[in-house]
Amino acid sequence: MHSLLFRFLTGLALLPGWFASQATGQEPADFAHEIMPVLQARCAECHSNGVFQGGLSLETREALLESGAAEPGSREDSEIWSRITTDDADLRMPPEGQPLTADEIEAIGRWIDGGLEWPEELSLAKSRFLRPLELTRPLPDDETGNPIDSLIDQYFRDQQLDYPAALDDRQFIRRVQLDLLGLLPSPDKVNLFVESDDPAKHEKLVDALLSRDRDYADHWMSFWNDLLRNDYAGTGYIDGGRQQITGWLHRSLMENKSYDHFVRELINPAEEAEGFIKGIKWRGEVNASQIQPLQFSQNISQVFLGINMKCASCHDSFIDDWKLADAYGLAAIMSEQPLEMHRCDVPTGQIAVSKFVFPTVGQIDGTLPRAERLTQLADLMTSPENGRFPRTIVNRLWQRMAGRGLVHPVDVMAGQAWSEPLLDGLATHLVENNYDLKQTLRLIATSKIYRAASVPVPEASTSDPFVFRGIQAKRMTAEQFVDAVWQLTDGWPDQLNAAIEDPTSEVTTQPPIRAALVNSDALMRSLGRPNREQVVTTRPAELSTLQALDLSNGEILANWLREGATYWLEKQQQEKWTDEQLIKALFLAVLSRPCTESEKVLLILDHAGDVQQQVEDLLWIVVMLPEFQLIQ
Amino acid sequence: MGQAESTHITGNTMSESRREFLQKMSAATAAAMACAAPRPLAANRSVAPAATADSCILLWMAGGMAAPETFDPKRYEPFEIGLQAEKIISTFPAIDTVVDNIKISEGLEHIAQVLDRGTLIRSHVQADLGHILHSRHQYHWHTGYVPPQTVAAPHLGAWIARLPGPRNSAIPAFIDIGQRLEDIGEKEELKAFHTAGFLGSEFGPFVLPYPDRAIDAVRPPAGMTPARFESRYKKYRELVNREVGDHASDYQKESMLRSMENAYRLLNSPERVAFELTQESAESVEQYNTGRFGLGCLLARRLVEAGARFIEVTTEYVPFLHWDTHENGHTTAARMKQEIDRPVAQLILDLEERGLLDRTLVILASEFSRDMMIEGVPGSSARDQSRAKADVMGEMKQFGLHRHFTGGSSVLMFGGGIRKGLLYGRTADERPCVAIENPVTITDLHATILRAMGIAPDTALEVEQRPFYVTEDGKGQPVEPLFDA
Repeated sequence: MHSLLFRFLTGLALLPGWFASQATGQEPADFAHEIMPVLQARCAECHSNGVFQGGLSLETREALLESGAAEPGSREDSEIWSRITTDDADLRMPPEGQPLTADEIEAIGRWIDGGLEWPEELSLAKSRFLRPLELTRPLPDDETGNPIDSLIDQYFRDQQLDYPAALDDRQFIRRVQLDLLGLLPSPDKVNLFVESDDPAKHEKLVDALLSRDRDYADHWMSFWNDLLRNDYAGTGYIDGGRQQITGWLHRSLMENKSYDHFVRELINPAEEAEGFIKGIKWRGEVNASQIQPLQFSQNISQVFLGINMKCASCHDSFIDDWKLADAYGLAAIMSEQPLEMHRCDVPTGQIAVSKFVFPTVGQIDGTLPRAERLTQLADLMTSPENGRFPRTIVNRLWQRMAGRGLVHPVDVMAGQAWSEPLLDGLATHLVENNYDLKQTLRLIATSKIYRAASVPVPEASTSDPFVFRGIQAKRMTAEQFVDAVWQLTDGWPDQLNAAIEDPTSEVTTQPPIRAALVNSDALMRSLGRPNREQVVTTRPAELSTLQALDLSNGEILANWLREGATYWLEKQQQEKWTDEQLIKALFLAVLSRPCTESEKVLLILDHAGDVQQQVEDLLWIVVMLPEFQLIQ
Repeated sequence: MGQAESTHITGNTMSESRREFLQKMSAATAAAMACAAPRPLAANRSVAPAATADSCILLWMAGGMAAPETFDPKRYEPFEIGLQAEKIISTFPAIDTVVDNIKISEGLEHIAQVLDRGTLIRSHVQADLGHILHSRHQYHWHTGYVPPQTVAAPHLGAWIARLPGPRNSAIPAFIDIGQRLEDIGEKEELKAFHTAGFLGSEFGPFVLPYPDRAIDAVRPPAGMTPARFESRYKKYRELVNREVGDHASDYQKESMLRSMENAYRLLNSPERVAFELTQESAESVEQYNTGRFGLGCLLARRLVEAGARFIEVTTEYVPFLHWDTHENGHTTAARMKQEIDRPVAQLILDLEERGLLDRTLVILASEFSRDMMIEGVPGSSARDQSRAKADVMGEMKQFGLHRHFTGGSSVLMFGGGIRKGLLYGRTADERPCVAIENPVTITDLHATILRAMGIAPDTALEVEQRPFYVTEDGKGQPVEPLFDA
C-alpha cells in the first residue's frame, strides 16, 4: 500500500501539470465500460488466447502485472502508456490501424493511475475453458457400484482429500426425505429404517420415496414455480397480464413427465401451459428489453440453458459473447409480429431474425408461422446434439441435493464444473434414461457420497478454485420449514390455493395441504419464498436478522407453536407419556434422533409453572436449532 | 466435434471471500453473502459526496396528491352547479406562507408556517407509462426503475440501508410505516417494490402498518413475559452449545446464530422504547394524532432520535381511497390535507427543536399529481379513469381533480443540507399545468436524496455479473441548487 502511494506521488512530482487534476480527485476509469471495450477491440488479437506478442498477455490483471508492462498507480512508469502515446510509428500500439483516440488513451491513463482496477471475472481469455456442446462422456461403466462414486473416488484420490465420514441412518433418512419430498421422516419410519439390516435398504428407501408421486410433486412445485415464475397470486394477475400454469405443472410432476417433453410443452405450449412463455405484462408501456418476447428469450435461456441473456437484451453483452441479435433471435421466434431490435431502448431499424443460440444444432426458419417456429425451437432445445440442455438441469438437481452446483453459479453454465466428467456423465445418463429426472435424483441419492456426512461450507477465496469435499448442508426453504412445522404440530391448512387437479379425490384420505400449494404469507416471504416476478434459481442460503426477528416474535409462527403445544400435550395424555417421554418423542419427531441425557435435563418441564407455555417454548427452541433448519 | 457451447467464460465469479465481506459490512448478517448476493463494483465512476444528512424520512402521499390542491395552487373556482369542468384547476383558494413568494393551498396552514425551513419543488415530473396503474408508478418512484425488470430492483430505502447501513444496529435501517401489504387491492404490486430485491432481505423494509402497534414488532411475542422470553433464548443457546456435530466452523450455522442473537438483542434493547408511542406525552400525541399517518410521523421522529437511517411514512395506498381520488376529489383533498398538515409541520418543528433537522432529510412526495381534465400528460394514450365524469358540475362528487397527471407535481424537502425558503421549478398557470421550469425527474430526485445521504448516483452493485446502479443506469444528477452552498 505504501509503495503504491509512493509511486503515485512520484508520478505526480514528475508531472506537475497534472497536479491540479489529481488533487481535485481524478476519477478512476470504469473498467467494464471504458477499458474492456478498448482492450477487446484493439489489443486482444495480439495479446490474448495463446497469442502473446512481445511476451505480453492482457488476459487478466495478474497476467498484465507479471509482464511488467504496467505500474499500478503510475502511467508514466508504465510501458503500455508510453507505447500508446508515442509518435514513433515503430513503437506505437496498436501497430495496425488508427492510434487509440485521445479519450481512450486518457481512460487508460486514469485506469493505470487508479491502480489498474480489473474485476476478477472479466477476462480477455475467451477460451479459458470450452466444452464441446455435444455429450461425449458417459458415466463410467460400473457393474458393482454407483458410477458417480467411481468419478468422485477418483477425484478424492487426485485431490488427495479425506473422504467424509458416513452419515448415520437417522441422518440419512432425514436428508433424503427432505431433499426428495420436503418432509420430515416420521419417527416410526426412522426407527424401521435404522433397525432394518437389509443391505439394500438405502436404495429401497430412495425408490419408495420417489414413488410417492403426490409428495414428490408437492415438494418440487416450489422449485419449478421459482424457475418458471409461476404463482397463485402475484403481480400481473390483477389485470390478466399473467397466467398460471399450476394445473399443468403439478400434473406433469405427478406423472414425472420426461424432461424433454416437459420443456417441449413449455416452449410450444397448449393453453394451460402458456403462462410461462407469455411472461408478465404490466399495464402500460414497458422498456424495449422487457417486452414479452424478450422476457421469453431471457427466461428460456436462463432456465433451460444457464445462459444470461439479460445483458444482451439491451446491448451486446460485456460479460460474455451474447449479442443483441442472439437475444432478439430467440425473441423473434415467439413474437407474433415482426420485431424491431432496440439497443438500450432506442430503435435500430433492424428487424430481428429468428435464431437459435447454438447454430450447429440447427436453425429456425423465420418464414414459418409462429407455432411452427416454436416447434422447431422445441426440437432444437431438446435435440440430443444440444448437450447444454441436459447439463443445465442435472446441474440444478445436483445443486439441490449437494448444496452447490457442479457448475457454480448454476445460471452461468459456461463456467467449468469442478468435475466435468461428472457433469457430462449425469447429463448423458439423463438422456439415456429418456430424460427421467427421477432417475437422476435416484442416481445421486443412492451414491456413496450422498450417503456421507455433510461438510462445512468452505470459506471461498478469490484465489482458490472450488474444491469439492462432500455434500454441503442446505438451509431449509421457506416451504420446507413451514411444512415441517405443520407436520410437527398437525397444523396443516385446510384451504388450497394452487389450482391443481386432485387426482386423489377418489381416495378417502386426503394428503395434507403443503406450503407449496398455498399463497405465500408474511412468514414464508420473510424466509425467502420469492415474489416470482423474476426467475429464481437459488434461494438465500442464510438467515438474516429480519428473518430471525420474524421467527423470534412473529405472530404467525407463535400461533402455530401455541396450537402445537396443545397438540403435543393432548398426545401426551393419550399416550400416557411422562414428561421425559414427551421430550424424547418430540426430539425424534423434530430431529429424527433421541435426545441426550443432558438435553433432557435442560429441557425438562417444571410443573410449578405453566406447562403449556413451556411446551410452546420447547417447540420453538428445537425448530430454531441449526440442526433442524440446516439439512445436514 | 460439436460447436463450443460459448466463446467466452467469465470465470469463477462468485468466489469472493465471505469472511472478508462480513467484516466490511459490520451491520449486515451473512445473508448478504449468499452466493447470489451482489457485490460492490470496484470502480464507481464518481467519488461519494460528503453526506449532508444522517437520516432520511420520506413522507409518502400515496395515490397521487394533486399539486393544484396542495402546494401549487392555481386559479380558484368554487363549486357551483353548472360550472364548466374545463374551467377548474384548483378547487381551494391559496393562502400565504411564511415565505413571501410562496402561496399554498387552503388547509395547509401549519405547513405554511414552516416552509421557511425547506424547499418546495413544483416541477417534479414522472414518466408517462402509457396506462396509469398506481402501484406501477409507485414502483418506479421507489426503485427508480420502471417494472418489469430482469432483476428485482431494490427500494430506495434498501439502497440506503445497504450503502451507509444502519446508524444504530438496534434500529432496523429501513423502516416502512403505515402501508399494509395484505388484505388490500394491488397488494402483490405493492409487495413488488417493498423489498430490497437483489440486495437481499437483510436490507428489506421493517414493515409497521400500524404505528400505534409498532412496539409489537420489537418485543417478545404477545403474552410472553420478558423473563420467559429470556429463559427461552438462554435454553436455546445452551442447547446449541451442546449440539453434537462437527460443524462448529460452518459459516452457515454461525450466521444463523448471529442473526438469532441480533434479533434477540433487538427485542431486548433499550432502543426499542423508540417504537413505543405511549412514551409520548398526551399533548405530544395530540399534536400529531390525525390518524395513522400523523402517528406515523410521531413514530418517525422517535425513531430518528433513536438512530434510524431511512423511514418511509405513508398515507397508505389503498385503491380509490385517500389521495387516490377518482371522485369526490375536493372533499377528499380537504380531509387529506387535514390529515397531513399538523403532523408534517410538527415533525419539522420537533426535529428542529431537538437539533436534528440539520442532519435529517425530510421529503414529502407522491407518485404523480392530478388534474381535472388530463389523464397522464397532454397527448398521452392513457385511459381516463375518472369515476365522476361531467362536463359541467352537477353535484359535489364531480368537483375535484380525478385524473392522474404526470406532467408536474410538488415535492417538499426539509433539513439535511437542503436550502431554506427556496421555491424551485414552476408549472404553467393554465392547463396543461406542466412543469415549465427546471423539471426534476424521479432519477434526479433520487440522485438528490442520495447525494444528501452521501451516495454517488452511479454507485453500482454487481448482480448476475453486471452492474446495477442506484439511480437508473447511473444517470441520476443531483439537483445542486437545492443544497445549501
